[in-house]
Amino acid sequence: MKPALLVALLLVSMTGCGNDGEAVTVTDARIGETAGPNAAIYLTAASGGGPDRLLGASTDAAASAELHETVHNADGTMGMRPLQGLELPAGGELVLEPGGHHIMLVDVTALEAGDTVEVVLVWEMAGEMMVEATVVKAADAAG
Amino acid sequence: MALIVLAGCGRDISSGELQGVVVDPPQEKGSFVLTNTDGEQYDFVAETEGKLTLLYFGYLNCPDICPVHLAQIAEVFDQVPEIARDAEVVFVSVDPGRDSLSEIRDFLDRFDTRFVGLTGTDDELVAAQKAVEVPVATLAGEGDDYTVDHAGWVIAYGPDGRNHAIYPFGVRQSQWSNDLPILAAMDGGG
Repeated sequence: MKPALLVALLLVSMTGCGNDGEAVTVTDARIGETAGPNAAIYLTAASGGGPDRLLGASTDAAASAELHETVHNADGTMGMRPLQGLELPAGGELVLEPGGHHIMLVDVTALEAGDTVEVVLVWEMAGEMMVEATVVKAADAAG
Repeated sequence: MALIVLAGCGRDISSGELQGVVVDPPQEKGSFVLTNTDGEQYDFVAETEGKLTLLYFGYLNCPDICPVHLAQIAEVFDQVPEIARDAEVVFVSVDPGRDSLSEIRDFLDRFDTRFVGLTGTDDELVAAQKAVEVPVATLAGEGDDYTVDHAGWVIAYGPDGRNHAIYPFGVRQSQWSNDLPILAAMDGGG
């Protein structure tokens, strides 16, 4: 666990050195309290420069993490679909929020409101980035 | 006479209006029988008779919309215990292949131990969804990683047994706070 964390931190530092300024900033990273086996990470990413693409995520708190979109079908049902990546437009924002996009944590450890979880986001351009997600009550996940 | 009528109107207006998606005319409660988390048969119409009833179809692996709905209801219930005491929240798992009765119980207990959890065979679940006129949930994806497409809204019945409003995903907690007392008062008079 620790070496992986160190590597991730180093990568963040290296990314920071390699770019002029912060290419991607992430705010409001949050996870709804767990009830079932899975949970969702929501966040807002902002581009300070060119476009980027979120390719994936990982955390010690879950067996795996998948990028998902919530789809609204013609018959009124809602569902989730896995995505290969999420676009962050140049100078724009990528918002992950309930009912839209999220990072699904599969087989997540039990999380209570107030906990924090370290998550490594993998960007196509910015590389790996460690963010700290705050666990919030599920009702408050909508922000 | 005119004064009495006016007074009546005033009272009705001050009772507020539903902020959910109003079902007009209200629909009668559909009939179905499923299995509750104690392993007993649960006759929806009989068990919820005379109660404010909130019905939702979901599944436990759902990380996005299901927990938000249930958490919102649980939080509002804490604010209006006198209404919660006489209400029935019914969560139906439409993923019986993965969700066991004990897992459904554990899941609901994270929100409110009073919430009723149900599931059944595929045929029973299809019948239940048809009975209350929601689109039947379907599986998407392959292997163990499949997801479930399901109706994303909560169906609200007054104590009169009629569906007066539905609550799609995105409903705010303040809307629940506003609506629950109104729904609880729908005992046949309106």
